[in-house]
Amino acid sequence: MLSWFADGPAQPSGRHPVFNDVTSVTLEAAISGLAERQRVTANNIANLETPGFQARAVKFEQNLADAVNAHQPAQARIDNLPTGDLPGQNGNNVNLEREMVNATETGLQQKLLTNTITSRFGWMSTVLKG
Amino acid sequence: MFEAIDTSGTGLTAYRAWIDVLANNIANVNTVKPMSGNAFQAQFAQAQEIAAGPDGIGRGVRVTALPLSSREGIPTYDPTNPVADAEGYVRRPDIDMNQQMGDLILAQRAFQANANAVERSTAMYESAIAIGKGI
Repeated sequence: MLSWFADGPAQPSGRHPVFNDVTSVTLEAAISGLAERQRVTANNIANLETPGFQARAVKFEQNLADAVNAHQPAQARIDNLPTGDLPGQNGNNVNLEREMVNATETGLQQKLLTNTITSRFGWMSTVLKG
Repeated sequence: MFEAIDTSGTGLTAYRAWIDVLANNIANVNTVKPMSGNAFQAQFAQAQEIAAGPDGIGRGVRVTALPLSSREGIPTYDPTNPVADAEGYVRRPDIDMNQQMGDLILAQRAFQANANAVERSTAMYESAIAIGKGI
């Protein structure tokens, strides 16, 4: 962590370097992506039987990885795209099984990320307390 | 805040409305009316996605209309029925029980899926609320 402060890219002005280092900002961006994915999944499940409804999926991981490599994790784009699956008889293409798997994965990933953020705050707290 | 739960809530409301409509249709499958009036008309729940907000994320589903089945129903010869006309005919409702029962399974399954989605979203928001807890 110490070497990070020495070698890291310049922090955006007006932001605190300890709380807005690349790791923290990346974690926050990932949590935003997961929150959006959860909302899109909820919308797909709500429209499970709506005739003609086209399911959508959130993709952000690759964008975030690219943004981190470019030292700009806050700029990562969250894409919300149609799944393009084949529709059934009523023109609806929601795949309930996949939505449930998505919801489970998203929940676990979210827990992992929020726990990681809490751990980082814990380290900072330890340092501050001396 | 908590939009995912609101979205699943619209699903619960819509599928509950569908189940109510189906239950009413099934309850009236043997409702007989005189030929002088309309038959009991089965209802259908018509649903539509709620358009996405400015952030481009859909906000669930809503029941937009409850169209009715034919008012003629199925004229049936039943001379012993007290409401039968002079020729002995009554109007039975035009309800396809197979379709009603099939739809009931779909609606029930969709309702359960939405109830489940509420729980998962709740767990996610709880873990977000717990950030920094215990420090």
